Order: sequence, then C-alpha cells, then structure tokens
Amino acid sequence: MSNATEVWPTGLTEGQALEIHRNLIQGTQMFGVIAALAHLLAYIYSPWLH
Amino acid sequence: MIYGRIWLVVKPTVGVPLLLGAVAVGSFAVHTALLTNTSWVKKFLNGSAASAVVQTQSTVASVAPPTLQV
Repeated sequence: MSNATEVWPTGLTEGQALEIHRNLIQGTQMFGVIAALAHLLAYIYSPWLH
Repeated sequence: MIYGRIWLVVKPTVGVPLLLGAVAVGSFAVHTALLTNTSWVKKFLNGSAASAVVQTQSTVASVAPPTLQV
C-alpha cells in the first residue's frame, strides 16, 4: 500500500478509494443475487428455455 | 486486489454513475431484444402468460418431426 498521504488525481487517499470500492462491490453482489432470483422466476413462470 | 485503486484516478462522482448507467442501458437493451424477438413476453405483459406457455408447448409439439413408420 503506497503511503496514505500520497496525493492522487482524484484527491482521495488509498483508504478512501478502497472503502468506496468495498461498498460498490457489495452493491454489485446484491444486484447479482436479485438478478439471479429474477432469472429463476422467469425460468419457472415463463416459456423461457422450455 | 488492486481494483479499488481505480478511484484514485477516476473520480467516484463520475465513475459510479457511469457504471450504473451502463448496467441500466445494458439491461434495457436485453429487455428490448426479448420483447422484439419473442412472442411470450408480450403475452406475459398482456396477462396471458399461461396461454403463452401452453401455446408455445403446442407449437413445439406440432413442429416435432414425424416419427419413422417401420
């Protein structure tokens, strides 16, 4: 990890960037679970792949 | 992993909406493609999904190749 006080183009520190990314990844995983559930329901209740 | 460091270079106020927008556009495109290339989605949205399922199965049955009479 580069030193925490280094100044980057966006002005964020590495810790702040990693924190944002953690939340973004978590949100993406939630989206993925919901999408998987939607595809399961579509497979069960629609002619898709039948 | 290194991916979180993207936000050191790309401003999150630009990158995050861009990412979510891209997912929305992609999802919209897939739904539009389904709506235009299938019949059952339109029937489902018109509330006649059950008949859509039966009708799809019946068309599959009618299209089935003739069995070989030996």
